[in-house]
Amino acid sequence: MIILTYDSSMSDRKSRLTITVDPDLTTYAERLVESGHAASVSAAFNEAMAEKVYRDRRRRGLWKAKGDEADPGRVARMMTHVDRQLAGE
Amino acid sequence: MSEVTAPPFVLDTSVVTAVARGDPDIIGLIQGYDARGQLLVVPALAIAGASLEVRGEEADDLLGGLELLDNLTIAPLRGTEQAARLAGIIARTGLDPWDAHAAAIADVAIYPILTLDAAKWRQPSADLDEPLHIVEISDPDEREPEE
Repeated sequence: MIILTYDSSMSDRKSRLTITVDPDLTTYAERLVESGHAASVSAAFNEAMAEKVYRDRRRRGLWKAKGDEADPGRVARMMTHVDRQLAGE
Repeated sequence: MSEVTAPPFVLDTSVVTAVARGDPDIIGLIQGYDARGQLLVVPALAIAGASLEVRGEEADDLLGGLELLDNLTIAPLRGTEQAARLAGIIARTGLDPWDAHAAAIADVAIYPILTLDAAKWRQPSADLDEPLHIVEISDPDEREPEE
C-alpha cells in the first residue's frame, strides 16, 4: 500500500485529500497518464469515483423503480406472515 | 415504526434470485425491512447462485443494489475454516453451495433463513445437528384452499 495525494489544481472547487491505494491501481493510473488516457493520476481516480457515483445512482434508481411497482398490500401481508412465523404462531 | 427486536434475517438463493429477476414485491419487502431497521444478511454465494440463474446487466445492477441498502450486509466466504465448514454442510445436507452458504451462516449465528420455498429446506435442516429456523415469504391470501 502506498499513500497517494489526491490533488487537483484545475479548479478551486476541488479538494485535496490523502488516500491509500493498492500499488497495482497506482501503476495502472500512471499508465493511463503516460498513454494519454488521463490528464493526471488525480484525474484518473476522480474519473473512477465519478463512475461509481453514476453506477450507484443508476442502481438506486432501478431499485426505487422496482419498489414503486410493488403491491403495498401484498408486501404488508408477506411481512406480517414472516412476523407470525418468527413469533412461533 | 416499532423497534426491531428480531435477529438478522439470512436471505437464501430463492429470495436473491427473485431480486435478480426484478420481482417488485420481493424488492418492496426488502426495502420495507431495510426502512424499519431490520438487519439482513445476504451470503455472497447466494448472489453467485442468483447471478448464475439470471444473467444480464439489469440483474447485475439489481444484485449490486443490495450493497447500497443501509441495513444489509453481504457475508463473504473467508478463509480455509469457513470454506471447510461450507464443504461439510454440503456433504451432510446435499445443498448446493449457494444455499449451503446461507445454512452455514444461519447455523453458526442462529439466524432465521428467509426463503420463497420452505419445502426445499426441510430435509437439509433435519440433516444438521440443530434444525435451521426456516421462514417462508408468502402471501397467505394466495394459498390454495385445502379440502
